[in-house]
Amino acid sequence: MSVATYGRLKSKKRKTRMANVITFVVVLVFAALVIFPIWWIFRTSLMTNAEIYRYPPSFLPGDWLFSNYEKTLEVFKFWKYLWNTMIIIVPSCLAGTFTATLCGYAFARLRFRGKQFIWALCVGSMLLPAMVTLIPLYIGWTRGLGLQDSYLPLILPYFCGGGAFNIFLIRQFIVSIPRELDQAATIDGAGYFRILFSIIIPAIRPAMIVVALFIFIGLWNDLLQQMIYINSSDKFTIALGLTNFRGQLKQDWSLTMAATCMSFAPGVIFYLIGQRYFVEGITLTGMKN
Amino acid sequence: METISKSSRRRARIYSAEARVAYICLIPAFLGLIFLTYVPLLSVLGISLTSWTGLAKPEFIGFDNYVKLFTTDPYIKDSIIATIYFALLSVAGSMIYSLFIAMLLNRKIPARGFFRAVFYVPYVLPAAAIYVGWSWLYEANFGFFNYLLSEIGLSKVLFIADSSYVVPSLSLISVWLAGNLIVIFLAGLQNVPSVYHEAAEMDGANGWQRFLHITLPCMSPIIFYNLLMSLIANLQVVTPALALTNGGPGNSSRFMTYLMYDQAFVNYKLGYACATTFIIFAILAAFTAVLFKTSNRWIFNEGGDDK
Repeated sequence: MSVATYGRLKSKKRKTRMANVITFVVVLVFAALVIFPIWWIFRTSLMTNAEIYRYPPSFLPGDWLFSNYEKTLEVFKFWKYLWNTMIIIVPSCLAGTFTATLCGYAFARLRFRGKQFIWALCVGSMLLPAMVTLIPLYIGWTRGLGLQDSYLPLILPYFCGGGAFNIFLIRQFIVSIPRELDQAATIDGAGYFRILFSIIIPAIRPAMIVVALFIFIGLWNDLLQQMIYINSSDKFTIALGLTNFRGQLKQDWSLTMAATCMSFAPGVIFYLIGQRYFVEGITLTGMKN
Repeated sequence: METISKSSRRRARIYSAEARVAYICLIPAFLGLIFLTYVPLLSVLGISLTSWTGLAKPEFIGFDNYVKLFTTDPYIKDSIIATIYFALLSVAGSMIYSLFIAMLLNRKIPARGFFRAVFYVPYVLPAAAIYVGWSWLYEANFGFFNYLLSEIGLSKVLFIADSSYVVPSLSLISVWLAGNLIVIFLAGLQNVPSVYHEAAEMDGANGWQRFLHITLPCMSPIIFYNLLMSLIANLQVVTPALALTNGGPGNSSRFMTYLMYDQAFVNYKLGYACATTFIIFAILAAFTAVLFKTSNRWIFNEGGDDK
């Protein structure tokens, strides 16, 4: 290697290092910007109202008034709302994941008449926006089945396959498992359900966790359907409780922000525990399509 | 001869056992597709042709609801404009933001996993709480953004209480929420073969040229996926109107889905609301169709294999 190319390489190396430092700084700034609103909300939740309205505002709370949270809890029944939310989310996640797995298995591995047709129905429904069926479903659940002020209209749809997108995801995953595995099991005399439970399900566990997470996020973010189906305040979910609480306490920003922070907490905790699956799962959806 | 028919009969029996298992597996999804998707879809059309209010028997009135929507409805035009305005701003903003951040995160920087986690955090917060929280940042007198504006010597802005700022303000929140797009883009970028970049660098291509001629074409299927998903999601926007603005000020954030909600569940005009639903559906379908139609022009398939 000549001295000249060596020098060029060295300068290039220095240039990349420089670029990486700049990148790091830019990323750091953006990350701070993303976190900032959450910090601002949190810092407000720990302040007195006098402190909130002071000018210029301070970036740190003076006294860290955790008592704001106790005061908030007197009106904002966080634990009850959390419990109610979980009553909806837990069965939905379990049932949705399970039924999506059953369907995905049938589409990926089994041969039967009408497969093309049902698959087409399934894929077709993926392109159908959810809001289109809202009113007829509301009429069906409340008028047809008399389910007023009930969680069932929110939960029961997940007993029906957990959504076409999730079925699609599971199917793509099962297709990628080598067929030799189930063929070997068939020779050993295992039935189709045995194959599903002892071979397929263990192999697609990551995909199932992803599906459960999607159902979780969907329900977690949903306000419209909860507003429509739930009326009485002792059945309120976190989302309903918070919007209602905000209406009651329009001007008390520190308590409103305390309630907001409490509503943030379960999602953040859940995310910190399952971060790996969140990231893997989101990645998977992008790649599998 | 006999053996053939015997074996084919046996195969038929295996098939039928297999089919039975398949049908059992598909019962839940089949019920869901019929009763939760396709029957309701047809009912929307059916109900939209009636004057049903939920109380009396529905009365068939033909296309009157549609005629009324297009001629006398005071909201629908503003609503469609607000929705499309919001969706375009949000989609453009979040696509640019997330691709930019993903490209930065794709470089060799320390604590990459940590940063990726940070950018993703807004996505796991419940939507209702996000809007309530941001309403404080946007507050007219003591909100953080107005503090910033006054620091740089600008006059106060009402943000979500001002009809010309409410949609951009809400779009900014959508961009902030786009952490999932970043993660998908990042995964895509990691699949772009680095030999391409090295080869182009040898040939003297600068960073911008490499972005234009390598990164973008290689990423086009993923850009399409993200574009489609975020367009469909943003055109159905409703939560900020429900949690925060109630469609106001004026009609400036009366998004289409909120309009439908208001007609059906506040004013109990179910027939009329179904007509609105159908129009929204048509608009969404048109956007999706345009995106799909133009996609083969700009999506680059590596090696030309359509898989």
